[in-house]
Amino acid sequence: MLPVLFVGPAIALMTGLMSNIAAMETEMNAWYLLLQYMILPYALLFLPLMAGVLSGLICRYEHQAGGWKQFLSLPVTRGSVFTVKYLLLIATVFAIQLLFLGAVYLAGTVKEIADPFPMMIIWKSVLGGWIAIFPLVALQLWMSMFWKNFAAPFAVNVIFTLPSILAVNSETFGPYYPWGQPFLMMYTGGASESVFYVPWDQVLTVVGGSLVVFFAAGWTYFQRKSV
Amino acid sequence: MIGQLLRSDFLKIRRKGFWLLTVIGPLGVVFMQTVNYGVRKDYLLKQSDDNWSYYLSNVNMFTPLALVLGIVILTSLMASVENETNAWKQLIALPVSKMTVYLSKFTVLAALLLVASLLLMLFTLGYGYYLDLGTDIPYIDVVKFSFYPYIAALPVLAIHLWIALVSKNQGVPVTTGVIGVILTYMSYNLPDWLIWKWPALMNGWVEPLTIVWLGIGFGVLLYLAGMLDFVRRDVT
Repeated sequence: MLPVLFVGPAIALMTGLMSNIAAMETEMNAWYLLLQYMILPYALLFLPLMAGVLSGLICRYEHQAGGWKQFLSLPVTRGSVFTVKYLLLIATVFAIQLLFLGAVYLAGTVKEIADPFPMMIIWKSVLGGWIAIFPLVALQLWMSMFWKNFAAPFAVNVIFTLPSILAVNSETFGPYYPWGQPFLMMYTGGASESVFYVPWDQVLTVVGGSLVVFFAAGWTYFQRKSV
Repeated sequence: MIGQLLRSDFLKIRRKGFWLLTVIGPLGVVFMQTVNYGVRKDYLLKQSDDNWSYYLSNVNMFTPLALVLGIVILTSLMASVENETNAWKQLIALPVSKMTVYLSKFTVLAALLLVASLLLMLFTLGYGYYLDLGTDIPYIDVVKFSFYPYIAALPVLAIHLWIALVSKNQGVPVTTGVIGVILTYMSYNLPDWLIWKWPALMNGWVEPLTIVWLGIGFGVLLYLAGMLDFVRRDVT
C-alpha cells in the first residue's frame, strides 16, 4: 500500500514543476500561485478518486477467501472493525496531505521562489482538504465493503467526482456538493479570515452532514452484512 | 471458436453492471451539459456565434475523462468477473487458445465502448435539438466528436486490459487509471506522444484524423504486446 501514498504528491510535484509562475506578473505571493496550480488536479480529481482506491485496498484481504468470516470470528465488534478501518484510512490521507505539503515546498524551492513561505495558509489548505475528504472516505468504505471488486465502488466514486469539475465553478451548487469540498477547502482564494477557506457553516453542514450520513449508513450496513 | 467465446463472455457480463455503465457514461456526459445549459443558457449562447459547435466543445470537455475512466472501470470489472470466482483456470483449461480468450475479452469491451459512443451521439443530438441551437446542424461534427475520442482511446483500452488481466491486485490498474485520467485532464500542458492525451483530440502537430489513425496503429501494437505477455504467463 505504501507506494500508493506517493502517487498524488508526485502528480502534484509534476504539475508544480510544469507551471510557469515566473512568467506571471502579479503582486501575489508566488507560493499562492504555485499552490493554486498544484491543487487543481490534486484536490479536484486525485484526492476524491484516491479515497476510493484506498478503501478498496483496505478491504481487499477480507474479501479474499472468506477473510471477513475469519476477521469477525475474532473477539472484536463489527462497529470497532468499521471504525478502525475508517480511522486508518483518514490517517493515510493525512500522510498523503503531508507529502503534498512537501511537494509544494520542493516545487517552490526548485522554482526558486523568493517570497516567504506562507506556512499558516498552506497548513489551512492541507488540513482543510483533509477534513473535506472525511465523508468521501466513509462512503467509499461502505461501497468497498458492499462490493467484492474494485471496479464497482470506483464507478460510484467516478460518477460523483467528475461533476465536481463543473460544480466548483458554480456559486449556487458548489458549496453544497460534497465531492467538490476538497477542492474548495484547499483553494486559497476563498474566505481567508475564517478558520478554513470556506465558511464554518459550510464545513459543518455539507462536510459534517454528509460525513454523518455516509458513516452511519456504512456502519449500519456493516452491522448487518452477512459474511 | 471466437464466436462461442464471445457469446460466453457476453453471457458472463450480464447483470454485473457493464451495460448499465455503458449507458451511464454517455448519459452523464450529456447530463453535465443539461445542468450547465440549464443554469446559464443565455450566458452560454452569447459566448459564440456558432451555438452548435460551442455546445459540442462543451460536451467534449467531459468525453475524454468519461472515456478513460470508463475504460479503467470496465477492464477492471472484466478481470474481476474471472478473479472473483477463480475462474481463469477453468477458462484456460477449455480447448481454446489463450490468444482467443484475450481477443474475446478485448472485443467485448471494444463493443461496449462503441455502443457508448453511439449513445453519446444520440444523446448529444437529442439535447442539442431540445436546446434549439439553430437549424444548421453539423451532423459530421457530431459524429466526429462522438467516435473520434473512442478510436483515439484504443491504445488506453489495450494497455488497461493488459494491466487489469495480469494484476492480482486490482488496486494496481485502478491507481494507474487515476494517474491516466489526471493526465487526460491536464492534457493541454502535456507532450503529444502521451496516449492519455489523444482522446482529448488536442494536438499541436496533427489533424484530429491523424490521431484517429495513430489510435488504431498504437492500439493494435499495444494490444499485440499485451496479448503476447498474457499468453506467456502462468495462470494461477
